[in-house]
Amino acid sequence: MKHVSLFLSLALLCLAPLFGEISLDYRLIFESGSSDHTLFWDIRLPRVLTAFFTGSVLALAGLVFQSVFRNPLTTPFTLGVASGATLGTAVAIVFLGGIAIYQYLLGFAGAIVSVAILFILSRSLKSTQTHTLLLAGIAMSFFYSAALMVLFYLSDFTQSYSIVRFTMGSLGVFGMEYVIPVMAVSLLFVALVRSYRHDLKLLLTSFEFAYLGGIDPGRTAMALLLISSAAVAVCVSVTGPIGFVGLIIPHIIQMIYRRSADTLIMPTFFYGGVFLVFCDLIARNLGTASDIPIGVITSFIGGPFFIYIILKRKRTHG
Amino acid sequence: MLRVDNLSVKILKNIRLSLDAGEHLCILGANGSGKTTLSRAICGLIPSDAVWVDAQPVPSLSPRERSETFHFVPAKLDLYDEYLSVRDYLGLNAPAQEAAINAVLETLGISHLRESRCAKLSSGESTLLMVAGAMLRRARYTLFDEPTANLDAKNSIKLYRLLTSSPLFEHRIVITHDLNLAYALGAKILYLEDGEERFFGECEAFFAPENLQRCFGGFVTRAGEHFMVNYNEAR
Repeated sequence: MKHVSLFLSLALLCLAPLFGEISLDYRLIFESGSSDHTLFWDIRLPRVLTAFFTGSVLALAGLVFQSVFRNPLTTPFTLGVASGATLGTAVAIVFLGGIAIYQYLLGFAGAIVSVAILFILSRSLKSTQTHTLLLAGIAMSFFYSAALMVLFYLSDFTQSYSIVRFTMGSLGVFGMEYVIPVMAVSLLFVALVRSYRHDLKLLLTSFEFAYLGGIDPGRTAMALLLISSAAVAVCVSVTGPIGFVGLIIPHIIQMIYRRSADTLIMPTFFYGGVFLVFCDLIARNLGTASDIPIGVITSFIGGPFFIYIILKRKRTHG
Repeated sequence: MLRVDNLSVKILKNIRLSLDAGEHLCILGANGSGKTTLSRAICGLIPSDAVWVDAQPVPSLSPRERSETFHFVPAKLDLYDEYLSVRDYLGLNAPAQEAAINAVLETLGISHLRESRCAKLSSGESTLLMVAGAMLRRARYTLFDEPTANLDAKNSIKLYRLLTSSPLFEHRIVITHDLNLAYALGAKILYLEDGEERFFGECEAFFAPENLQRCFGGFVTRAGEHFMVNYNEAR
């Protein structure tokens, strides 16, 4: 099962750049100057790489959030961290002329502010009250949505359009210069999380056990959340918010592997990337005039799964 | 040495006690009298500057010093990740010590559970697992919260033997309702009532009939070396 899915995934990753609305002439890919060369190297490949590394960051951040908050429903999205990043980016689009670097910076700031609010809240709650934190996250998301509405009201037509397109999520990048930051952040992120593997495992036990196991659980949780939020913020500022990857991938991986979450860092990272490449492949090949936004595809698959998780939890937890 | 100097947290009021090197403690008291709260305060889970270990306040210990000084065995095994295995759990107590892990599992007679998921264990098996973890941890002070509550007679005796004979527990602090266990352990006794210290002293003095009458009224009777709860008293 695991070998088969690994093989299929690798095949998917290799073949994904070759398929799209315009069929490629494979012989011309390596011939510079041809339109096939440009299509492959400047559009298809950057897009697949962006999809892979964004998906991997979102999935791994979901795993980290679920482990740190000890709640299977927490992700950067359900807790409003990604909405914070979206709001920051929208502010940059409306007030700062949509300059890319400001979009990144404000998106990043939005995510960090959200995680800071969450952390202050979680400190005043007991560890068993994470559902309260979820509610707080939902309240924050509503607040951000309202602020986003205000921005729509203040923006002109073009700005509104770019915000709407942004909130739907898009992997349509052109050229490698967008891929490099996402790729670098993604690889740095997984390396950092791996270096916390032992501490993460302690967090998966109980507060008492972790506290007497030689770590400061609060500080470790904060470090992991900050790292994850920063990585998510960078990806969201490039691709827009892409929901549900962080929720469903860690659950599917744990159901398949049946091991504790700290041992699933690499599988979650890898299959998160594969999942988004797969969704993007669907988005690009449905034959509509323009690409269906990637957020739509992941949510269509993720929404029903979210409900399935809730139902299953109810059954096992009485 | 461990010193609690006028500790008042949550329901606890002005608790004082001290344990010299090599001394053990047994904490007794009714449900809700503050036994677990006290043990959590001792190992720093409820930070308080009233608790000192070797002239250092417990909250000022570094995480590493803390883990070498205290280990807490709770009444119930609580793990978030349902896929953590027995081996995973023990590995966290003794990283990269496969041989030691296997030896401890062997001692407790639970080798067959090595690859099981902790979430699938019975409450008695979970207790044995937590004791195994404590043996691997080798902390200077190991606190047990009602360790025999879920154990059958045979395993209770096995645990009693481990507690009294194992060099792995340098100082043990045992919370229990089992007076026979407390008597057999022979350690200093702290008896709590509504968060206040009602008795702190030697084991023999606590189990003197007049003191039992003072602490438990007519509910407990001493018969030689044994203690009985008088269920008939309620009639």
